[in-house]
Amino acid sequence: MISITARQLRAERQKIRHTKALLVPLGFLGFEILWTMWQLSSMKPSEFSQGYLMLFYNLPVMNTLLMPLMISVIASRVCDMEVKGDTLKILYTMQKQESFFDFKYLNCLRYITVFVIGQGLMILFFGTVNHLGTIRPSIFFIYLITTFAVSTVVLSIQQTLSLMSHSQLLPLGIGIGGSFLGLFSLFFPKPVARLVLWGYYANFSVVGMNWDPDTRIIDYYVLSFPLSRFLLFLAAGVFIYFICRMIVVKKEV
Amino acid sequence: MLTRCILAERKKLRHSLILPACILIPIIPAIMGTFNYLQNLGILKSEWYSLWTQHTLFYASFFFAPLIGLYCSYLWRLEHRNNNWNSIMTAPVPVCCIYFAKLTVILTITLLTQLWTGILYLVCGKIAGLPGLFPPDIFFWLLRGTVGALPICALQLFLSMKIRSFSIPIAIGLVGSVLGTVLNSEGADLFWPYCLMLLGMNANKSENTMSGEMLPFFISVCLFTVIFSAASVWEMKHRDIHA
Repeated sequence: MISITARQLRAERQKIRHTKALLVPLGFLGFEILWTMWQLSSMKPSEFSQGYLMLFYNLPVMNTLLMPLMISVIASRVCDMEVKGDTLKILYTMQKQESFFDFKYLNCLRYITVFVIGQGLMILFFGTVNHLGTIRPSIFFIYLITTFAVSTVVLSIQQTLSLMSHSQLLPLGIGIGGSFLGLFSLFFPKPVARLVLWGYYANFSVVGMNWDPDTRIIDYYVLSFPLSRFLLFLAAGVFIYFICRMIVVKKEV
Repeated sequence: MLTRCILAERKKLRHSLILPACILIPIIPAIMGTFNYLQNLGILKSEWYSLWTQHTLFYASFFFAPLIGLYCSYLWRLEHRNNNWNSIMTAPVPVCCIYFAKLTVILTITLLTQLWTGILYLVCGKIAGLPGLFPPDIFFWLLRGTVGALPICALQLFLSMKIRSFSIPIAIGLVGSVLGTVLNSEGADLFWPYCLMLLGMNANKSENTMSGEMLPFFISVCLFTVIFSAASVWEMKHRDIHA
């Protein structure tokens, strides 16, 4: 059993050799590093005590904008070879449709893991270099876990679209639309914003902001983490994954 | 020859999903911009101009370039597949005609997208209860935005031609746009192709920020378009293709 799993994982890895797919999360991460440097450079020394909170407030917004498209690019890069090469007929004679979907998913997940870990290291690095004070581990881990969890659900949808779409126009269009909707949902009333999957990167943020228009001073504060909502989200995510897998499995090849 | 190439490119797009993308994606910022406008009537008091700031806030800043990237990637994808590079490069057609036919088609779709954005803006304005028609400036800004989109089209065409992946040029488009927003706030917008559309559209501004400064804008547009188009044609002429 283990050898079959290892073999399937290896097969997926071999398929994407030389495609430089790792450059996608690294490119997005590089961009976020530049953006964070710019944000920190525009901060006054007196604001550094709230530097970590500023990062945990702004990075989820940035993720809402960037991650839906990044995930659609990764999914398209990994799945398009099967669509282009019309390989599903051959693959399905050797491999179960369900496990094909699972291992493709695991393969895409590797890139998201690289991105999320990279973001975590980036936060710690900039925090140490700029003396942003003491980081609260609970906020740090909640940030990483929620970013990863939301990405897994978005990936289920993007992978399904990439495997189903002949031209990749639809999945990438949905990726752009998702970034769009997610970003706009931040301006919606909360009950409406909860209906937008892509906005959950910022929805699960545990840092809020007060801006005083008179003094122009920004004050960040910590919110309580909506654990029950997060668990419900995870349950919905598992459900979405199985629905997506069922759609791909039932596709006529 | 160029006309025949344009007709051929148009034929390639028949029954494609480009038109639905061109129609559906601008609907999202239109609905949301209007929603945002209606939510903030207390602050946004310049009627049609205020609605314009909300419509263009994210459309021009973040999503226009990836949308153009989507069009360009689709157009080149047809050549990247099924050894079609061999066919087009051996056809008795100058490569510059192939490139400029693609650029013309992309520009036509971009113009359609902009006109559609204008129609949506008018409809949303009427739904929001704004009086009369929108000011003529807006129509001019839409057209100027299309001119500002020219270097983005040329650059995205170049990227989609060089990069065989469908999705990576689109991601580059998004990163370029976000970087453009940062450069726009720093005042370096004439030196970055992704900023020019923002500038042309007068995005998120209720007053024309470019009055009297049209010449540098047009010089920048022409310069970037010529550079990217020349790079694309040079690549097609001098580099070996990978069918």
